[in-house]
Amino acid sequence: MTATPASAVAGLETVTTDQVTAARATWSAFRRNPLGVASLGILAVLVLVGVCAPLIADSPSGYGEQVLQAPSGAHWFGTDNLGRDIFAEVLWGARLSIVIAALSSALAILIGVLVAVLGAYFPKTDMVIGTVVDLCLSLPVLPLMILVAALAGPSLVTVVLVIAFFSWPEVTRVVRSQALSVVRLPYMDAARLTGGSHVWIIRKHLLPAVAPVIVVSVVLTASRAVLSAAGLAFLGLGDPNSWSWGRILYEAEQSGAMSSAWWTTLFPSLAMLALVVSATLISIAYNDARNPRTRED
Amino acid sequence: MPQVLRFVVRRVGRALLTLWFAATVTFLLLRLLPGDPALAVASPNMTPEARHTLLQQYGLDESLLAQYGKYLWQLLHGNLGISFSQQVPVTTVLMERLPWTLLLTVSSLLVTVAVGIPLGVLAATRPRGFLDRLVQVGGVVGQSLFVPSVGIFLLFMLGLQLHWLPIGGAYSPGVYGFAWYGDVLQHLVLPCFSLVLVQLGSYVLTLRSTLIESLGEDYCVLAQAKGLPNRKVVWKHALRNALLPTTTLVGLQLGFLVGGAVLTETVFAYPGIGRGIYEAVTRLDFPVLQGAFVLLAATVVLANVLTDLAYGLLDPRVRTT
Amino acid sequence: MRVRTPFTALAALTVAATIAACSPSAPSKSDGSTSDAVLTVATTTDVVNFNPLIGNSRTDNWITSLMYPRLLTVDANGAKQPYLAKDYGYADATTAFWNLRDDMKWSDGTPVTADDVAYTINSILKDKPAGNTTYGQLVNVDSASAASPTRVEVKLKRPDSTVVTEVGFWMNVVPKHVFEPNGSVAKFPNNSNWVSAGPYKLTTVAKGQSYTLERVTPYPFAPKNTPTVSKIVYRVYADINTEILALKNGDVDLIANALPPAQVKNLQSAAGIKVEQVPGFGYAHMAYNMKHKPLENLKVRQALAHAVNYEAIRSVVLQGQAVSTGSSPIPPVLKDFVDPSLKEYEFNPDLSKQLLAEAGYGADKPLSLNMIYSLQDAVTSQWAALVKDDAAKAGITINLQGMDRNTYLAKTSAGEYDIYAGNFAIMDDPTTNMALTYLPGGAINYSLVDDPALNELITKAQATTDKAQQKQIAQEAATLVHDNVYDNVMYMQNLYFAHSDKWSNFTIKPSELLSLVDPQSLANATKS
Repeated sequence: MTATPASAVAGLETVTTDQVTAARATWSAFRRNPLGVASLGILAVLVLVGVCAPLIADSPSGYGEQVLQAPSGAHWFGTDNLGRDIFAEVLWGARLSIVIAALSSALAILIGVLVAVLGAYFPKTDMVIGTVVDLCLSLPVLPLMILVAALAGPSLVTVVLVIAFFSWPEVTRVVRSQALSVVRLPYMDAARLTGGSHVWIIRKHLLPAVAPVIVVSVVLTASRAVLSAAGLAFLGLGDPNSWSWGRILYEAEQSGAMSSAWWTTLFPSLAMLALVVSATLISIAYNDARNPRTRED
Repeated sequence: MPQVLRFVVRRVGRALLTLWFAATVTFLLLRLLPGDPALAVASPNMTPEARHTLLQQYGLDESLLAQYGKYLWQLLHGNLGISFSQQVPVTTVLMERLPWTLLLTVSSLLVTVAVGIPLGVLAATRPRGFLDRLVQVGGVVGQSLFVPSVGIFLLFMLGLQLHWLPIGGAYSPGVYGFAWYGDVLQHLVLPCFSLVLVQLGSYVLTLRSTLIESLGEDYCVLAQAKGLPNRKVVWKHALRNALLPTTTLVGLQLGFLVGGAVLTETVFAYPGIGRGIYEAVTRLDFPVLQGAFVLLAATVVLANVLTDLAYGLLDPRVRTT
Repeated sequence: MRVRTPFTALAALTVAATIAACSPSAPSKSDGSTSDAVLTVATTTDVVNFNPLIGNSRTDNWITSLMYPRLLTVDANGAKQPYLAKDYGYADATTAFWNLRDDMKWSDGTPVTADDVAYTINSILKDKPAGNTTYGQLVNVDSASAASPTRVEVKLKRPDSTVVTEVGFWMNVVPKHVFEPNGSVAKFPNNSNWVSAGPYKLTTVAKGQSYTLERVTPYPFAPKNTPTVSKIVYRVYADINTEILALKNGDVDLIANALPPAQVKNLQSAAGIKVEQVPGFGYAHMAYNMKHKPLENLKVRQALAHAVNYEAIRSVVLQGQAVSTGSSPIPPVLKDFVDPSLKEYEFNPDLSKQLLAEAGYGADKPLSLNMIYSLQDAVTSQWAALVKDDAAKAGITINLQGMDRNTYLAKTSAGEYDIYAGNFAIMDDPTTNMALTYLPGGAINYSLVDDPALNELITKAQATTDKAQQKQIAQEAATLVHDNVYDNVMYMQNLYFAHSDKWSNFTIKPSELLSLVDPQSLANATKS
């Protein structure tokens, strides 16, 4: 029985070409979600603005003659307590705030995923890792951030490190539970039996399986990082040398402008809101899209 | 009998471990990071000998290990030490602030649950409808708000412009007796509301997704097929299961809020522990900071216990394991 | 598992009981409170502790000054005036004295006597309380004693013409019979059963929230020995924006901390609010650490001085509410001492570049320095940014290191900075100030300068009590400081304070330390 009927082969091909990949299905489901698409658009605009900030406006510095002026034709978002243009500050703030969020979440993800994957893959270490993660989760995040940032001295590096170090346990918690359920699946045992090295198995099988959870985690950690950084800056623990949205709010707070000049507070707050909301909605839409049960079809 | 005993031992062991961990992390951070506590106790004009004597009295000149040992020993005896800057016992300092923190935290959590459950049910029973979308977006927006901005806005609108509520503080001095309770409530409204705005989002979203999942489960489908009214299916059956993860969430939020409400407390001039910690940090008041973090860890332990109890009430399966 | 249910019930009960035990209870009306006017004062800093001898926040100072008298006060012109002390002087070169009033009493009936003053001074010397401002002024003091119930004599180690006026003003006198039984003053929290010499005494404390003081009689500095305001309540608002909203809303009557410059105009035009101007007596300055290379080079210091836009700082950051001192440590408000011939350093980045080149710095060898300042000082934090940006125009890189107050103080005392930026609260006597600022080892010698010529001048001024001679020497010293950039005095800030227009008759005194919340002011304020 060597000759296979041509029709049978043709039938097989149709089957394989009809099968949509998981990624394709996720993307088409995502595309159909109006909230997700709108949020992606907003996020793209913010990132674009941040990247192109130097092209649109000069870096805010020095001072201006018109102190605490309401929004006008000359200054779309008004001026701050030293007469600087708030529109430029928000633009440059987008740049820095996104960078801080990206860096701190990247670091948090790196540590968190590493710990989670190791714990799930090597069951002997899991007990210890699980306990350590639970203990870390029980630490009060914001007070510790304040403590470390104040003692170490406010600077960009401090802020990024502080946020990363207090965000990774949450990442581990989420990724670890997913990883634990994947590790027990039969195909993982099969992979081990085929004799692959641990690193290869983790890279080829475990990581892709937890990838969706990681994606969601990245987005959520980054958006929370924006709020944490702004909170620290508001308390005076942000970097005084660079412009972030938190710094705009801090200067407004210190100069008493929040009580009388609404534009000093509104625009940076709206910018932060836009970034965090769009990031969160994207992750929700993505989650809904990749789960066949909640896909909107 | 032994099962209950084992359970209790495990829980108590966990609790002690959590407390020890928080105490140690704080201890190490304070001593290993830059920042000279000596300045909080010793005047820069002092002669070196006088400064050394003072450091000795506060135990800051001994080796790290010796300080740690002494600290743990005192902790085991319930002695949190004396505040560097206020010269009063740390327990006094913390107890002045704890009641207000508890009041703010508990009230905001109660309101979150009270408002969150109906909203979650509303969203889950009309999936992908307009109300659902509204609740989803509202929840996400609430989670993403920057508290100080919202706080100042509320104070400006509801306090200054409309004169509905007082501006800041936990109560107005000069109010006595029964009227005082009403005054406390009045001052509680805005800070509580700000916290609720932020927490409600994650609560409702979690409840919504778990409720949708529950409603899709076989037992709910069966209940509907049996002919039970929708309301009963949701409230009597699906909700009980759906509330489990949200209960965990509330427990987590409790742990977070006790120390993490510092921004709310700053803007509303509410004398809670979060703000107390911030001020102790600016003064490098080690004993107060160490004591505060142990207290926060104790709160987390308590929150875990409460969550477990709530779980036990909601989920009969837990009780019988 | 039926055992679980009673267990859970028990656990739930204990939790509920703990919460109930921790709850605050309603305060009760304290005895003796009247229905007269109550003045509510807002402040942004909480009280740290109630012992005036321990270095404290300014709210501590405001409140303890209402209870523990100073020997001397200052008037609106910055001149020392009698308060607890009727007169003062030097019996001989090494003996200083104060003669006290005999009509001041502690609230428990004990008279305020020279014993209390002597005890206060000796305790500070013996116990060295942390952060005590007077300790630095007692450096030449050996001991104090009560020659009679109304005469305090101080034995000096060497002639020092500043002791009587400086210690007289800066030190709060505490009751010996209350403090002594409690051991070391450095450890005594003084947080209950307060005994006050007037005009007010603490009665209720709600930590972190409000501090209530009630009037005490007799108080000789108020009409009919009775303070006009019956109760003063200090309320803490951590955020200055909330504080301003509270004033506008009528929740508080007076804001004790100085207004941020940008809010002055806004509040001046707000309905129901009056803004008072208080003469500034402190200056803001930058000191270049001469122990760090290359700041020992005069040309470098001059380059830095010419790279600051003083006018812009005064007009933008201070909103025109500051005056130049001509870059001299003697401000124009001290009419008896000022030298009008000293001119402010000119803002000229090109000149700076040139001077730097002469010192060997330029594009190929850039100059990079760090500047420390306290983040708690909002105004300095703002002009620090301007200084950085303007210095960049001259090719100088300044790294701003804003830090919390304790770290700032630590780095300051350890000399770990290139440039120090800060404020000095009250500068009323050039000789005292220069001794502390320019003598090697001086408590506030931030440029770590040690110029023998300058040292000689200052020591001479300290030894003489002749006003004319003091003036001449002070001016010579100021010129030395100016020409050598030993100190870069940038401006003297006038401060503004807001209060409800329902209140009036405040006595205005210089600096934020006194302003409108000085004991004499509050004891005479009236409500319309």
